[in-house]
Amino acid sequence: MLAQYSGIAPKSDLMLLQKLGEKLKGKSFLHINSTRAGGGVAEILQRMVPIINSLGIETRWETIEGDAGFFDMTKKVHNALQGNFEEISEDMWQYHLEVNRRNAERLDLEADAVLIHDPQPVPLIEYRKSGKWMWRCHIDVSNPVREVRSNIMRYARRYDAAVFSVAKFAMAMDISEFIIPPSIDPSSEKNRELTAEETDETLVKYHIPRDKQMILQVSRFDRFKDPIGVIKAYRLVKKYNDCILVLAGSPATDDPEGEAVLNEVKEYAENDPDIFILLLPPFSDKDINALQRSATVVLQKSLREGFGLTVSETMWKGKPVIGGAVGGIPLQIVHGITGFLVHSVEGAAFRIRQFLNNPGMVKRMGEKGREYVRTNFLITRQTRDYLSVWYVLENKGGEFFEL
Amino acid sequence: MERTVEPFEFRQCVSIRRSTGKKAGNLRGLRDLLAVVNEASIFHHVYQYFLKGHILEYTNDFAQWVGETLEESPLSEHLSNTDPYAFGNIEELRNRLVTVIDEYLREFPGPKEALPGSEFYFNQTVTLVFPVEVKVKNLAEFLIAVKYVDGGSIYYHFYEARTRLGSRADDFSRWIEDALGKKELAERIRTIDLFMHTIEGIRDRIAELVEEEVRSDMYGHQQTTAVF
Repeated sequence: MLAQYSGIAPKSDLMLLQKLGEKLKGKSFLHINSTRAGGGVAEILQRMVPIINSLGIETRWETIEGDAGFFDMTKKVHNALQGNFEEISEDMWQYHLEVNRRNAERLDLEADAVLIHDPQPVPLIEYRKSGKWMWRCHIDVSNPVREVRSNIMRYARRYDAAVFSVAKFAMAMDISEFIIPPSIDPSSEKNRELTAEETDETLVKYHIPRDKQMILQVSRFDRFKDPIGVIKAYRLVKKYNDCILVLAGSPATDDPEGEAVLNEVKEYAENDPDIFILLLPPFSDKDINALQRSATVVLQKSLREGFGLTVSETMWKGKPVIGGAVGGIPLQIVHGITGFLVHSVEGAAFRIRQFLNNPGMVKRMGEKGREYVRTNFLITRQTRDYLSVWYVLENKGGEFFEL
Repeated sequence: MERTVEPFEFRQCVSIRRSTGKKAGNLRGLRDLLAVVNEASIFHHVYQYFLKGHILEYTNDFAQWVGETLEESPLSEHLSNTDPYAFGNIEELRNRLVTVIDEYLREFPGPKEALPGSEFYFNQTVTLVFPVEVKVKNLAEFLIAVKYVDGGSIYYHFYEARTRLGSRADDFSRWIEDALGKKELAERIRTIDLFMHTIEGIRDRIAELVEEEVRSDMYGHQQTTAVF
């Protein structure tokens, strides 16, 4: 399994993975999140679980089940942790715990290490059986609604460790808090090299013309991703440069607001024939890959962001990205070197025009971005980091470990 | 009889960041936390700065934040000019950094606040060290290895060695002097300014010096230019 990354990932990452695998061989590792499809967490787990298994660590991935009421509540929690005010009653919190209790009865929680992803399953710690428990928070919690944060922390501080994507998301609890950025898989369907025929196939399928330069944003239809802001930027650009805009996203089972936002975006686009709004079915990875490779300019104009992995995905394809300066995006975009960070619709429009008119700049920044992703944001590095944290928890004491 | 040479074994370190839970929003906050934060955090923000691998304007995280976020460039210059390897231990370094900030605050007592989200976050790391399974026995083998090992290996032997060994010498120059008996080359490697290069820059400079020596060993000083 690791051999497929040889020559792509930094060799030290592969070497450390093997060494950690030797140390943890025969132990069990359980991941739990809330969805198998849609969003970055599920994507990473689909690829990471087989890698860890291949190291001789028995690894399982389980998802919690819940009804619409549960996911409405957890979406409110998600929004509130990202700074939007939401009404969450005590009954709702009780229901959050109750759904987790039912899942704890259904799932086998026995493992040497358990990694719980995001707030939906965070109360599972109440039903801990054995092993080291880590809570992995993927979202931007730098400016949360305090009451909601307190309710989540009530559970989170009972874990052995917490993991955040960016230092400013850390919650200053009394447990170890590690900073581990997420990653992309270079060999996945979404990131592998494509032939010209494969790319054309996608464009034909979605009736996207090839005679105009393409501006693209790939993300869920979520207000925090600012799809309306992207359309506004496109309209400013359109006065100077003829181009098309493609907004592409997949629905996620744990995001009940997606349809409402999609309708808002369609309405705002006002049937502009040069705006293509694509609701891609789950697992449209090859189509996303083809769109990213076909675009001239790729945006991730988020207003709040956990990490924004589409940025690294795009940079891996040698394309610089224009991104909102939020969440983990500034970690990926070194401003002026691997892309541009923007703070407004106008800023986005200005940078889009720069890229549309300077193919040399796009190529130069694109090459730097690919190397930056290779050394910092590939799945081998993230897997290495998770296993390192587990190893550190198993071997308490000190800051240096000789392997 | 040939002398037995102790081989040089390349090792590497990988660091995983940990949050200390402390953050500073202005210069006074930075100073107060710097005075009390654990040594591991100061080690990370100063000594491990070069693990980042890309070019930044200053030479440690404190100077970078003060210059870039607070736009207090004169203080950044002072902080950047502090050589962490000139101190016997981290407490001495801490005292020096705090003194530099105190002196600046006496002159400019009203520094600005960082925007929310741009505060200075004090982190520390846990570090895992492992051999990369590359052993070399002579300078030519060393040259090839130093060109191709990961940047983390260069960091471990060239930067981290100084705190590990408590001296101004790095692992490379020590081995070149002790095992190969090449004192002059070792001295030339020791004079590389470790604050003025990225890790890749350090790698290139070492490779250049070693390559010169290998050429010289093979062809003698006179012919070096003509042959290559």
